[in-house]
Amino acid sequence: MATESNPAPPPLSSALPPPRMSVGAAGWIRANLFSTWLSGLLTVTSGAVLVLALWYGLDWVLLDAEWTVVTTLGGQFIIGSYNSEQACPGQNCFWRPQAALLLVTLLLGMGWGVAAGGLAKRIALIAAIAIALLAFLPYSLDKMGLDVRLLLIANLPALLAGWALARYTALGTARWIVILSVAVFLITLVLLRGVPGVPGLQPVLVQNWGGLTLNLVLAVAGIVLSLPIGIALALGRRSNLPVVKSLCVTFIEVFRGVPLITLLFMSQHLLPLAFPQNFPVNPLFRAAVVITLFSAAYMAENIRGGLQALHPGQAEAARALGLPGWQTTLLISLPQAIRNVIPAIVGQFIGLFKDTSLVYIIGMVDIVRVGYRFVSGNTQYLDNAPEVFIFISLVFWVFTYGMSYVSRHIERQLGVGER
Amino acid sequence: MTELARILTYQGIPVWRHTRVIQWAAQILSAIVVVALVAWFFANVANAVQERGISYSFSFLSREYHTPIGDTFVPYEPSDTYLYAFGVAALNTLVVAVAGVILATLLGIFIGVIRLSGNWLVSRLALAYIEFFRNVPLLVQLLFWFFIMLVLPPERDGYVIAGQLYVNNAGVSFPWPTGTGQPIATLIWLILAVVAIIAGFVVSRRLSRREVETGRTSYPVLLGCAAAVAIGALGWLLVNAFAGDAPLAISTPEPQGRFARIDGGFTARAGMIVLLIGLVMYTASFIAEIVRAGIQSVGRGQTEASRALGLSQLNTLRQVTFPQALRVIIPPWISQCLNLTKNSSLGLAIGFTELTSVAQTMTQLAPPIPIFIMLMAAYLAMSLTWSLIGNLYNRRIRFS
Amino acid sequence: MNRYLKYMAGAVLLVIALAAMACQQDAEPPAQSTAPTAAITAPTEPAAMTAEATAMPADSESTSMTNQGDSRLASVMSRGTLICASNDSLAGFGFADASGNITGFDIDLCRAVAAAVLGDADAVEYRPTTASERGPTMQSGEVDIMSRNTTWTSSRNATWGNFAPTMFYDGQGFMVPKNLGVSGMMELGGSSVCVQQGTTTELNLQDFIAQNDLDIEVVVFPDNVATNAAYTSGQCDALTTDRSGLVSTRAGFASPDDHTILAGTISEEPLGPVVPHGDEQWFDLVSAVMSMLIYAEAYGITSSSVPTAVTGDTAIDRLFGLEGSYGQEDMGLSMTAAQDVIRAVGNYGEIYDRHLTPLDLQREGSRNALWANAPCTDCPKGGQVYAAPLR
Ligand SMILES: N[C@@H](CCC(=O)N[C@@H](CS)C(=O)NCC(=O)O)C(=O)O
Repeated sequence: MATESNPAPPPLSSALPPPRMSVGAAGWIRANLFSTWLSGLLTVTSGAVLVLALWYGLDWVLLDAEWTVVTTLGGQFIIGSYNSEQACPGQNCFWRPQAALLLVTLLLGMGWGVAAGGLAKRIALIAAIAIALLAFLPYSLDKMGLDVRLLLIANLPALLAGWALARYTALGTARWIVILSVAVFLITLVLLRGVPGVPGLQPVLVQNWGGLTLNLVLAVAGIVLSLPIGIALALGRRSNLPVVKSLCVTFIEVFRGVPLITLLFMSQHLLPLAFPQNFPVNPLFRAAVVITLFSAAYMAENIRGGLQALHPGQAEAARALGLPGWQTTLLISLPQAIRNVIPAIVGQFIGLFKDTSLVYIIGMVDIVRVGYRFVSGNTQYLDNAPEVFIFISLVFWVFTYGMSYVSRHIERQLGVGER
Repeated sequence: MTELARILTYQGIPVWRHTRVIQWAAQILSAIVVVALVAWFFANVANAVQERGISYSFSFLSREYHTPIGDTFVPYEPSDTYLYAFGVAALNTLVVAVAGVILATLLGIFIGVIRLSGNWLVSRLALAYIEFFRNVPLLVQLLFWFFIMLVLPPERDGYVIAGQLYVNNAGVSFPWPTGTGQPIATLIWLILAVVAIIAGFVVSRRLSRREVETGRTSYPVLLGCAAAVAIGALGWLLVNAFAGDAPLAISTPEPQGRFARIDGGFTARAGMIVLLIGLVMYTASFIAEIVRAGIQSVGRGQTEASRALGLSQLNTLRQVTFPQALRVIIPPWISQCLNLTKNSSLGLAIGFTELTSVAQTMTQLAPPIPIFIMLMAAYLAMSLTWSLIGNLYNRRIRFS
Repeated sequence: MNRYLKYMAGAVLLVIALAAMACQQDAEPPAQSTAPTAAITAPTEPAAMTAEATAMPADSESTSMTNQGDSRLASVMSRGTLICASNDSLAGFGFADASGNITGFDIDLCRAVAAAVLGDADAVEYRPTTASERGPTMQSGEVDIMSRNTTWTSSRNATWGNFAPTMFYDGQGFMVPKNLGVSGMMELGGSSVCVQQGTTTELNLQDFIAQNDLDIEVVVFPDNVATNAAYTSGQCDALTTDRSGLVSTRAGFASPDDHTILAGTISEEPLGPVVPHGDEQWFDLVSAVMSMLIYAEAYGITSSSVPTAVTGDTAIDRLFGLEGSYGQEDMGLSMTAAQDVIRAVGNYGEIYDRHLTPLDLQREGSRNALWANAPCTDCPKGGQVYAAPLR
């Protein structure tokens, strides 16, 4: 981390860095903080600003801020109204998302086992430990029962189980992980949705899936689907078939040219008119489709950029070897193009995840609306709205920063931009 | 079977293996699918519209709107029409977009440059800025700024800076020029002012070319500004002499009445400030990365050479590094501008009456279908304008 | 080559599977089939079954304008849930509590309709709707009912849908901080007023300003949180909305006594439920449910005293389907629908007491008492709450 973000000597400094006169802490400070008078001035002012900001910030966070609103909502931030009396009458449904989480941790463990250390290990361990630590939140036992806590702690053994599974059984290959990921996604949906007639798995309406889970479901579905759709659109836009090309261009330009929130409004208010009454398309599904298509339009442009940057010699060589056109595209051009625009693609994934927060405006109870509606309906918490949004920002940040961290790692491994 | 296969050939190749045939078949098929889908949608919409008596006519546009719009940059009366109100809202979006792009670009360049500074602390702070603001949803940031804005004291006991600048949670008010009694005089001077600015540009262009060609220091920026100011001042004096009145007067904000509401000057209201802060901070974090990548794309040799030629650090950046970096910077910058324009629609979450917000409010008493069509068209027009600018630039750098 | 084909096929399958999952979530039979009715209210008989059994044949005979397949009642029954556009952010009327349950005065109407049609007051799917989304939401035809402190006006009636009988009579008022010393609405000239977008209150405020030639700066906000936060922080001098909304908002403040709700109103705000245009049978049904709530109170029947056997009082017996009919067959209701309704949510007075009395919204002496000569003995009377008699 530290070595990576110390890039080539900056162009602003004096022409040639003088040979190091002194070493050690003092030397480092002189070289990096007080090399010129301007630099020294910058250091002092920004240092002062930083100290003041930290001072007042911490003062507010620790003394003035009232975090009870965040702790009161607790589980709602994670899953919305899912475990409310209304959604899941007479039972405790919280174990279902928790069980799904265990499966995800298992997968993380398998990823660690397959990749044998490195980044996968780091992510798996951090995630599992963080989740397990949630079990020690200082809630009273009747707000956060022993079962909930135990299921949280169980993520650690699940992680190890996954690791062992990957290490000592035939499941330890990338292909199995992909297959199992799909399986886990489907099982998660079934677990959350429930199965009519199975005790303990009583159905819970999709409208009650909320909180961070909703953002994640939207994001995962969007990420998985927007890449293939984006690839198809990019290829369509580059194709020399006029009809296909113009369809793709129209689609991309319209979806890129309009704010997502407008599209979401249309998906909720106008789209129902375009389907027969009672056509089984629920609002969540419509929102997911719109977010996915919106993201796919951007994805298409990213990939098109990658394809354009590709040297035509690549495709020509493949054709010369006798590969038919579509195989050239799929096997030669596309993989290289994608590899070259991985940063942009991950950037788009991050954007998509952030964009899922917009669904609160159309009345979906994502993590933002969980906080919003609560401070609204319970005006005694109105003054604590900033606390809620700071908390939500942090939650988003953890995920998006994690994604960009992984992306940078992959970039470095693939040596993107080094050729 | 073989008979059939023989018939189904084109240019001697079985049709299902003939590329041209396959391609055309695919095109026709996809066209049919799309047309059928669209037709199905329209049929359903038509059905619903008829069954539930939903209006889809644009005639509401000439009705009077009679609904308050919070922020306006042109005079707006409740008795104005829906169409005019839509225009007022579109102007709000445009103002925020233009102001946002300018501010975000400036902040982005600043952060991008200090991100590369040799000063460890400053560059780390820039990194922290980028990593935070880029990774948190704009919507959440806007809500956060909304509440931060409310922490300021209310209008009646807000801060007054130098007796001229009023800062409070309803907005920021500052002195602002207004026309005086003679609009013609004001107009003439404004035209002269534009002329002055153009003249200033021409002068500075000329001088800087001479500087490059002859190597003589010619102070292009300084002299350009001087020329502009001189022409402007001359115009002012002339207009003043002929009209007997200054072309512009300064209106200063002042608290009025029992609620001490501020009148006069220009007030940037809270909604707009919050939206601008949010958009600028967010977009600047992306622009900073674009600028950094652009600067890094310029070979180090360039910088070293110009330093060796004796150019100062600032001049190196301005005259050597930046012009070259621009080629890399402009295309992604254009798409950030486009994003900022579209993101201004989130003003609806924090009470800035931009296009989306007003359009949505209109649906209370006017048919939603035409309103959404107009909304889409307005945003598409803005986006296509940005794309056009981008394409023009791309063409220019390709040919030069 | 083969491997890539396989991956491609896998990807396509995945896409299809996901799409199928997403669709299936709705197409799947309703949750209520296995879900025992909430612990709050435990019907003594399998209500859903009776409702279905009696309503289905009734429906096929119905003389409603729309045909059987299209009728909203049939849609609701086959879906198994009632889709209710609601408020999730106004205390007392519709809001989420700390564990995420949506409750409130308006919410209980949706629950009552669900109880009447499906026999299960919990079989409601809430669609949180902000004020300015209401028009498009109703016109999209996707929701079965909207019960969300919505004012009945003629233009809304013409474009949004049909308004069932009013559930709460209100008017628009102003709230100001006490320390401003404002004592009447006419003193608001020169102030700035916070109001929410897309509401009648926004329009009325504009009229009020024009009418009285007051210099008021209108500050509009998209939702309750923003409007109220702006008001409490002093961004505007006054807050205007329905008086009930003002009371509900003020009730949560740390020091409610620092704020005065100015005397008088500037408009009529009859708040009631809306149903989409195009299905009169459904409109009749929702109106009848409102009558059930109101007349149950008038007859003195509460959730704990719902008769299941003939009482001898003809009006009561007819209401609860023990004798005669008030048109259940034509509306597609089960004969005993009112039993389910009152048992699940209680009568109008109980609903009011549960949600609005805690907010200090006095019913006694207000317009929301029952009509003057309602037959009950110890219920608040002399108000306007009234609906079509059930007969
Ligand atoms: N009755 C008025 C106003 C209804 C209304 O929206 N009231 C506000 C405040 S009392 C509200 O419920 N806001 C909640 C929200 O939109 O989040 C109308 O029908 O237009």
